[in-house]
Amino acid sequence: MPAAGVVLILAVVLIVAALALFLLPTIIALRQIVTGLDEAITGVGGLIDKSAPVNEVVKDINVNLDAAVDALEGLLVKKAGLEEAVGLIDGLYPGAAKDGLRNFPESKSVVPPKISEVYTKGTLTLARLGREAPIAAASPDGPALRNPARGSQGARVLYPEIRQTHPEKMPRSPVIGTDSPVQYEPADTPGVRKAKPAGGTATIEREDS
Amino acid sequence: MILYWLGDAILLLVVLPIVVYLLRGVLNTARGIVPSVNRIAAVAAAGSKDLDAVPLLLTTQDQVKRTVETVANYGGSLDVIVDDA
Repeated sequence: MPAAGVVLILAVVLIVAALALFLLPTIIALRQIVTGLDEAITGVGGLIDKSAPVNEVVKDINVNLDAAVDALEGLLVKKAGLEEAVGLIDGLYPGAAKDGLRNFPESKSVVPPKISEVYTKGTLTLARLGREAPIAAASPDGPALRNPARGSQGARVLYPEIRQTHPEKMPRSPVIGTDSPVQYEPADTPGVRKAKPAGGTATIEREDS
Repeated sequence: MILYWLGDAILLLVVLPIVVYLLRGVLNTARGIVPSVNRIAAVAAAGSKDLDAVPLLLTTQDQVKRTVETVANYGGSLDVIVDDA
């Protein structure tokens, strides 16, 4: 065999060896890719299956909540009037009045009265407890569901400024009893007075009078 | 004979380097895809696991219905008890 033929065979063998050397790892890598894609397809299939009913359920929940909001807004406006209703909402959720009521577009132009300064703290606290209801989870301030710290801070704001400074001494509570400075007439039965006072409901005994 | 030598030279100096270059490119690309595919598979599996709580939406749906019914009952009572503005 001539030398040129030997070199030709050697070259062909080298080419085949190179093909084997590089194609075998490529095949292994492609198999790994196929395995990974199978896992990914399984995961994506699970995502699709699990998220399929979400749209319908959430729509139903929103329909129910919309109906409740409509009814409560209507009831609030019917009972309290539009202006007072906006004031009550703004007292509970400061700044919420600018968004207005959903079914009463004219409520956005209402200047909210400062009901939180007029209504008793107990009334507002009771109303604020409504935020714990699931229906109030989407309040303008975000959900504050059973958050003791936030609830405490929110209720504390309702008290006068002097209480928030935690003074060592506060004015004492009114004195009651026979020697109290404010004396009331004794009644025959609970709730019935002997005689209706002329100018006021009680007489104050002062030392200088 | 000269043509044989010429063919040998072309095989060894041209064809073989080109084959090696192309095969190495294919191998490097295939190896580069493997980590990406593995990450995609991991993310898909984690996302699927995150949605395990979706069936709880059915409970939420039922609770919302009951809550709205209760609120409606309260509202109806308040409508009767409290005077209109």
